Amino acid sequence: MKRLTDIICVFRIQLMSMRAEAGPFFLAALVFPTAMYLFTRAVSGTEAAPDQNRLRFLAGSIVFSLSLTSISWLGYLLLENRFTGRLKLFATMPLAPSSYILGILLFAFAQAALGTTALILIGRTFGVRMRPSILMLGSVVMLTVLCLCGLGAIIAARARSFTQGSILTDALGAGLVLLAPIYYTPETMPHSLRAVSQLLPTAFAARAVQTTLAGGHQIGGEMMALGFMAIVSLTLGFRLTKWRED
Amino acid sequence: MITEESLQIREARGEAKSHTFSAPAVRARGLFKRYKDGTEANRGIDLDVQPGELISILGPNGAGKTTFLRQVTTELRPTSGSVEIFGVDAIAEPQRAKGMMGITPQEAGLFDSLTVQEHFELFARLKDLSRADARAEAAEVISALDLSAERMKRVGTLSGGQRRRILIGLALLGRPPLLVLDEPTTGLDPSSRRAVWGVIRRAVTDGAAVILSTHYIEEAERLGDRIGIIAQGRLIAFGTLDELLGRLERSYRLSYRDRLDPFGNFCMCYFASFSDARAHAAREQLSEYSIARASLEDVYFTLTGECFAEGETKG
Repeated sequence: MKRLTDIICVFRIQLMSMRAEAGPFFLAALVFPTAMYLFTRAVSGTEAAPDQNRLRFLAGSIVFSLSLTSISWLGYLLLENRFTGRLKLFATMPLAPSSYILGILLFAFAQAALGTTALILIGRTFGVRMRPSILMLGSVVMLTVLCLCGLGAIIAARARSFTQGSILTDALGAGLVLLAPIYYTPETMPHSLRAVSQLLPTAFAARAVQTTLAGGHQIGGEMMALGFMAIVSLTLGFRLTKWRED
Repeated sequence: MITEESLQIREARGEAKSHTFSAPAVRARGLFKRYKDGTEANRGIDLDVQPGELISILGPNGAGKTTFLRQVTTELRPTSGSVEIFGVDAIAEPQRAKGMMGITPQEAGLFDSLTVQEHFELFARLKDLSRADARAEAAEVISALDLSAERMKRVGTLSGGQRRRILIGLALLGRPPLLVLDEPTTGLDPSSRRAVWGVIRRAVTDGAAVILSTHYIEEAERLGDRIGIIAQGRLIAFGTLDELLGRLERSYRLSYRDRLDPFGNFCMCYFASFSDARAHAAREQLSEYSIARASLEDVYFTLTGECFAEGETKG
């Protein structure tokens, strides 16, 4: 019971501290991804874009939103907690490090749920035809968030300064989407980047989200890859977080 | 649901109130800390703190006070030695040990967009208080620390002193049987400092043990039941004020202005008796001098070879 209360408290503290930053959050979670959707649709031939392309662009925008909120935004919060002494404040409390981590992850899921739902509604408004399975889409989003949060946590734990960390989280949040074949097909990429780009977590996430939005179920490979990456990045990220100094 | 951990905290609180103690609040033995760069910040500190007792820790900057407190609060793992909090091994079971502590670190951040009340209520929940108890404790601590006018303000709009008082208040939530306060009143104005002293004293009266590090000699003197002086990583003196003063062989201080340097600082000499001090002043034909009983500052000066800056002697 205490553990659950602790997790919810950490979640609420992060949520309430976001009140002053709601504007930038909506920019990252909704405005930029929506703009990217409209931009890619326009570039690819607008109205003539077949449904499959529209679905790909929407899936890309959902992954873009997840990447910006989980790596850039959450990484920034973790950096803030570390470099402004808030992590130290949590560490003075009888709070297990795992409760802190779960509270932060719960916050990340809430952000992801809000962003994804809003983007699906925006997609419908723009006439994207989809038949998503909520359960499958939820699972894909959850695994993607876990994986990307782990990357944000690694940067937040290893950064030498707040500035260095925030530059890295920003660069990775956008870079992982732009380098992966999300808004375009792998064939259009330079040969040297093709193999690497297909192994990025955002590439697996985009394929899984697109398949799920189209009502498909063949995402076992993507789920396994995302699951594996999530375990590695989260374990590493939160092991590197200094809760207690040696 | 009552867990074993919360039962232990309640027992410790209960013991503190009823003064039936089974274990010291803090028992540190041979605490030794060597950092990666080879700096030895603590070199074998032994210290017992009993429930209902306030220990002041004094020492020059870099003497190892904060390192010692961080090891007690489990924030820093000692290189060797042991720390027990009410009999709980703080190194092996940091969460259980922290459940019995209220901690004010020297530096910690608050959440700028949360209000004062939200801070107290949410962090009280982290200390295992029910929603109703958290609200009641928050109101009590806010009033005790004179923060009622700021209750609904966002912390980002408050002054450094007000934020410092919030950090002290967070340590007091849940009435922990042990308070560890690292320079709690640094940066506070005199009236806020006195308000904080009152709150700390009340906690001691209620049975809590307190370890407090400070730069203010008056604070150490007024609050501490016993005073420890740390220098170069060692606890070089520990006892009541009278015991520490008793360590001085020459307990009369002669302060005088050097005739050859009339605009310089006062010089100080120590004598075994008042008459010896007066005889010295006459012999040296001093015209501007004072003779006083030695104070904690003199003990500190004698033991560490360091003087307190003017602002640090007064609380």
